Amino acid sequence: MAMDSGTGEQSHRAHRSRHSGASAKKKAKDKNKNQNSDQKQQNPKAFAFRSNAKAKRLQSRAVEKEQRRLHLPVMDRSYGELPPFVVVVQGPPQVGKSLLIKTLVKHYTKHNVPEVRGPITIVSGKQRRLQFVECPNDINGMIDAAKFADLALLLIDGSYGFEMETFEFLNILQVHGFPKVMGVLTHLDKFKDVKKLKKTKQRLKHRFWTEIYDGAKLFYLSGLIHGKYPKREIHNLARFISVMKFPPLSWRISHPYILIDRLEDVTPPERVQMNNKCDRNVTLYGYLRGCNLKKGTKVHIAGVGDFSLAGVTGLSDPCPLPSAAKKKGLRDKEKLFYAPMSGLGDLLYDKDAVYININDHLVQYSKVDEMGGTTHKGNKWDVGEALVKSLQNIKNPIDEKLEKSKISLFSQNPSNSLDAEGLKTDSDEAPKLIRDIEPLEQYQSDGKDDDSDFDEGSADSDLDDSKSSDQDEGVQEDSMQNTEGRNFERNADASELLAQVMEQVEFHSGRKRRKAIFGDGVDHSNLKGTDEENEGDKYDDHDEDNDDESTEGTESCSGSEFSDGDNEDLKSDEDGMGNISKWRASLVERASKKQNINLMQLVYGKSAATSNASVNEVRDDSENEESDGDEFFKPKGQKAKNLKEGSDGENTDTEDCSKSTSFSELKNWKEEEVYESVRDRFTTGDWSKGALRNQMSEARTEEEDDKDGDFEDVETGDKFGSHKEDDDAIEERRLKKLALRTKFDSHYDGSEAPEAETDIQHGGKFHRSQENDSGYYDKLKEEIELQKQINIAELEDLDETTRLEIEGFRTGMYIRLEVHDVPFEMIEYFDPCHPILVGGIGLGEENVGYMQTRLKRHRWHKKVLKTRDPIIVSIGWRRYQTTPVYAIEDQNGRHRMLKYTPEHMHCLAMFWGPLAPPKTGVLAVQSLSNNQAGFRIIATACILEFNHAARIVKKIKLVGHPCKIFKKTALVKDMFTSDLEVARFEGAAIRTVSGIRGQVKKAAKEEIGNLPKKGGQPREGIARCTFEDRILMSDIVFLRAWTQVEVPQFYNPLTTSLQPREKTWQGMKTVAELRREHNLAVPVNKDSLYKPIERKPRKFNPLVIPKALQADLPFESKPKNIPHRKRPLLEDRRAVVMEPHERKVHALVQHLQLIRNDKMKKRKLKEEQKRKEVEAQRAKDEQVLRKRRREERQERYREQDKLKKKMRRHAEG
Amino acid sequence: MGKITYKKLKGSQNMRQRLLLATLKSTPILIEDIHADDTLPGLRPHEISLLYLFEKLTDDCLVEINETGTKLKYRPGIIVGGSNLLHDCGLTRAIGYFLEPLILLGLFARKPLAIILKGITNDSKDPSVDTFRSTTFPMLKHFGVPSEGLKLEIKSRGVSPHGGGEVHLAVPTVQHLTATMWTDEGMVKRIRGEAFTTRVSPQLGNEMIYAARGIFNNLLPDVYIASDYRKRLEAGSGNSPGYGISLVAETTSGCCISADTTISYTRGNEAEDIEGEDKKELIPASDVGEKIASVLLEEIEKGGVVDSTHQGLLFLLCALCPKDVSKVRVGKLSPYGIETLRQIKDLLDVQFVIKPDPSTGTVILKCWGSGMKNLSRKTT
Repeated sequence: MAMDSGTGEQSHRAHRSRHSGASAKKKAKDKNKNQNSDQKQQNPKAFAFRSNAKAKRLQSRAVEKEQRRLHLPVMDRSYGELPPFVVVVQGPPQVGKSLLIKTLVKHYTKHNVPEVRGPITIVSGKQRRLQFVECPNDINGMIDAAKFADLALLLIDGSYGFEMETFEFLNILQVHGFPKVMGVLTHLDKFKDVKKLKKTKQRLKHRFWTEIYDGAKLFYLSGLIHGKYPKREIHNLARFISVMKFPPLSWRISHPYILIDRLEDVTPPERVQMNNKCDRNVTLYGYLRGCNLKKGTKVHIAGVGDFSLAGVTGLSDPCPLPSAAKKKGLRDKEKLFYAPMSGLGDLLYDKDAVYININDHLVQYSKVDEMGGTTHKGNKWDVGEALVKSLQNIKNPIDEKLEKSKISLFSQNPSNSLDAEGLKTDSDEAPKLIRDIEPLEQYQSDGKDDDSDFDEGSADSDLDDSKSSDQDEGVQEDSMQNTEGRNFERNADASELLAQVMEQVEFHSGRKRRKAIFGDGVDHSNLKGTDEENEGDKYDDHDEDNDDESTEGTESCSGSEFSDGDNEDLKSDEDGMGNISKWRASLVERASKKQNINLMQLVYGKSAATSNASVNEVRDDSENEESDGDEFFKPKGQKAKNLKEGSDGENTDTEDCSKSTSFSELKNWKEEEVYESVRDRFTTGDWSKGALRNQMSEARTEEEDDKDGDFEDVETGDKFGSHKEDDDAIEERRLKKLALRTKFDSHYDGSEAPEAETDIQHGGKFHRSQENDSGYYDKLKEEIELQKQINIAELEDLDETTRLEIEGFRTGMYIRLEVHDVPFEMIEYFDPCHPILVGGIGLGEENVGYMQTRLKRHRWHKKVLKTRDPIIVSIGWRRYQTTPVYAIEDQNGRHRMLKYTPEHMHCLAMFWGPLAPPKTGVLAVQSLSNNQAGFRIIATACILEFNHAARIVKKIKLVGHPCKIFKKTALVKDMFTSDLEVARFEGAAIRTVSGIRGQVKKAAKEEIGNLPKKGGQPREGIARCTFEDRILMSDIVFLRAWTQVEVPQFYNPLTTSLQPREKTWQGMKTVAELRREHNLAVPVNKDSLYKPIERKPRKFNPLVIPKALQADLPFESKPKNIPHRKRPLLEDRRAVVMEPHERKVHALVQHLQLIRNDKMKKRKLKEEQKRKEVEAQRAKDEQVLRKRRREERQERYREQDKLKKKMRRHAEG
Repeated sequence: MGKITYKKLKGSQNMRQRLLLATLKSTPILIEDIHADDTLPGLRPHEISLLYLFEKLTDDCLVEINETGTKLKYRPGIIVGGSNLLHDCGLTRAIGYFLEPLILLGLFARKPLAIILKGITNDSKDPSVDTFRSTTFPMLKHFGVPSEGLKLEIKSRGVSPHGGGEVHLAVPTVQHLTATMWTDEGMVKRIRGEAFTTRVSPQLGNEMIYAARGIFNNLLPDVYIASDYRKRLEAGSGNSPGYGISLVAETTSGCCISADTTISYTRGNEAEDIEGEDKKELIPASDVGEKIASVLLEEIEKGGVVDSTHQGLLFLLCALCPKDVSKVRVGKLSPYGIETLRQIKDLLDVQFVIKPDPSTGTVILKCWGSGMKNLSRKTT
């Protein structure tokens, strides 16, 4: 850190290597290792491979591992400046999140942030901006934060250890595409013991590694210094953040999204006054991320719902990169950060008001200063100052001005729409006054240096903003001019409106240009006057811009004489600046552009006509079909009125034919000059000409346009056209070179190629191995890079307006979204601490349907999940509650319903909701409350497919009883309820309990089984079945079948932004919750309960052989009548007499046995005694121990009690 | 559940593209005033047949037509595709009318599509099935469609008025198309074609071939026109007599430019049918050959990577690409192409940059694809 300045001769202290301690040990170990390896190399043969097969296997394994490490290359379609990376700081409460943000902001910008509310954008380096967001502590906030985080800093209280929030957040991150994660350990100063601290760090680090990957970065912040983290450590952390690479995440690169850093309510105030709870119009500001946003895209505001955009405008970057911005002295310092919600950037955001911060030393209220101010410190003016001055300077009251302006407005363009607009803007002038300060400020700064870039934001991009500039003028000039200039402004806007051009801003040679396509000529004669008067004035530049437009307009329409005059004007103006050629070039370019638009206009008509059509939509209730019917039969005239758009009076019923050849006007291709004309299009013709045909048009399309069209100024067009061609060619060559280079790079050395950024984690070794097998992967990468270069090249040569039209707003732009009819609760309960996420909805994602997901219950969630219990899922941008049905796929592809999720297995879950594309991650939670102890994430899933019908089945067992049995046929009742049902099951296999198989034949005719009782209808639902054997009346017949399970069509979007944030969102309750609430027992079917099985021993009757049969039997088989004996047989009764020798042996054996028995008895006695003794001893010991324990416990309780009392006393005190 | 917002459209024009784009983007549409001012108001039989076809290929789509048939409500389902499908295209329009949307639908279906289409195979209004085989399929290759699964077999040929043709179509599925820079039109290196006759003398076919070759011979030696003569029902002739020819010019850069026509007795209006079939004279075969060759030469003269018939399909393919820039060159914009561009803008929100290239008299179109992906495909 502290470098010695200059003096090289100063001697440094030599390094003293450690002789003891951890590092010394480590070194010793390393040394040993090295030695070992050296030994290895001394005898290389000993370690060479011996088995050929083994070596092969190892090699293939290595290759496989390498392949597994590869990721499918993803195309990054963001071409412009990158938006700031979002750094989400997450952690349990009281862990130091805001403090970390504050210190980081302080580190980067040298500014103190009073409090962290909403995203804070800062410039962290020349090419990098960061946006810090504090993650709210509730699960909804965490889910949303995980969706926009590029980097998540997980703050962990080191003194406490991990908390559930961290793991929950990690899981959420994993599901929504794993962004970069870094752990930060805080509260390490709580440890007094160094050893313990080390141990804890080690333990936490390893736990963290198991959760993410081995070697994941865990940062330690040791304690606080003056209530801030140590500078050194923050510096290091900032370094880590600044070198971090952010891999593209598949969901995010396919959807546009915006993290809102400014929100404003633009509802007309009288509407709010009339009804405080009316739907509001809001504007949302933020950087566009993900992919390009087209105008027609629908958006989802997380926690609110889906909305179509009422307007999108690109604004100037409030926090530009230093390389892009021009040096403007003091202001640069302030532009390093931007956080409107935190009260930075001069605006302090409050719930219902906006306050302006003005530093005291910047404010000077004297009026004399104004004159001087314009001359020497025009660009140093502060916002507040400008405002105050504007208040001082007003000569005419605002209402008077308005009146005037309105009158003149009417006299010039009596357009209804404009009138309405005017009224509207009048009415909401007051509240907008404050809103408009920002653009105004930019005006001030830009006004002085002419030819500087006019910020888009200030550039009256819509009516509101234009008004702001009005006010500005009102401040600066005297009132007459003011009104005129204002009229002029209005006029320009009006003409834009008339032509129905969405205003677009283009940059040309550092100047802002608004292109306007006029539908008809608007009288601009009065503009000239103002222009001349304003010459040399501050606003000269601006007016001139507008004049440019007017010239363009008039030229294109009528080419009236005063346009020339205007040009003169401009020239004289710009002579001073010395850039005529630029101006000329721009004119030519614009003319050429006009050509393209003409052809595009031919196809697309007036740009407004089509956009109108897309807006014109009918809302229709799908359920209420009757009302549709009414609509079907409306009088014809009325219908026509509804459909204003029409199609330019064309016949709308033209036949749909792709072929449009007619034989009538064919040339005679037999004539020589006719067929020779196409000779060059054949291989028999001139090849060089044919090749030229392709090449020429590639390079010179734009230039050709000029020549071809009805461009009046042919001379200049030619002159500049040729010049431009050169430029084009140069550009083309440059791009080709670039593409070639990238191709080369990707081929040979990945480490230098730009796309290597994406896989920085793969080391050099990996790249080296890539060289030899430039396989599929490389080819893919190359293709992607080539496509990217092509895209850039093709888009670059479009002008800004067309580009916006065809590709939409680019990522990295600061844009303003206007959304209408938002529930008022969003504004009322708006809390800047809860960031708002606005995500674009992709193709087909607004539709609802069934989704099939592969789901696994989280292993930390204690219970299994029950089918049809509502769960809250987070898919894509959305969060909603739905009722899934769990299923599992059987061997034969059948989806069998499960009542509960399996314990440790994946299962299928089918639910109803807004569709999301396959492979999207799904996260499920059941309870949103913060005071739940356990783990809140219940399951994670992944979408497999979506369907409009759910195909889940469950087993059904139909039970019947025979009511009549013929030989092998039986009539079965109770199985079906009607004959129709029987007909449905004809041929179905059935079975009795005893295992006799059979088949359903037909519904039984009127037979004994279903004879009507007392002259009624015959009983229905009796089936005739056949079996493989005769069944018994006592048999029960089963039919086993599958039945469709219906998945409830229920989903309930989470509207957490429409209620106080601290309130827990309550949706549909689970059955268990309802039972608990209402104190209901779980219903039990008594028959389903298990009872002890009683099995009586079976008694068999004696076998009785019929007499007739007995008589026929042969004698041996006949049962014989043997009388029962009274006395035992002789053999049993006889006495045994032993020999003398035998007797002796017998006696000896008896004696020996006696001796042994006696011995055993004695031993047993002895053992008994011993055991008793031991037991007694043990009892004694036990008693002593118990006594000691009791004493110990008493002591402890006493101490605890004391402590508690002390605490209580403290609390009371 | 909830409200469905229908996009309101008017008139029966471009019904195919509208239905196709609505299905691909899954936007419900409501078309009003369909042939409202005609003497016979309401949907035409082929339009109804088209709706049936869409219903067959999709899962849970909703089609509602009011009593007069002038109003159509269409809520698309999920494109399923599948094999063993059969569709009778009717006799008002040829199979070519149905093939154009069908191919695109098949690409974005869940399962590969295999369908049997019955009806009129060759017609003067719609591109013939031969053209699809020779020109349309190679065109798809430029957009990354694998050529393996793509197949069209002509089992029997049917011409108007009685049809009787049968083709077997197989279309593979893709995850997404790939954007293309297709501006090199190349030079025509060979001309191929196929002449067919059904229930007429094969001599007519030979006459057509001879006449067409006569025109091309001045320009190119490599001309080969195959013949396909089907006289009897067993040999795959349809129910009506007719003859026609389909030509395709292949260029050095792999572009195919086609022209085709068919001569048969027209169906005419119902009223005429009742009066009895007074057979009008057909154009002689040699004239047909000459004319179609001239048409092809004119298409070649216009330039562009596709002929005017395929412009619509080309634009649709470009618009359905991922979010990359596609650039194509076509000859003079055909009315159908322009209509398609409008529909694309309206329904898919994709706008083309159209630049004329006066040196060649062609038009270069650029677009930023809509980012369409095959969402109905199941992941494992």
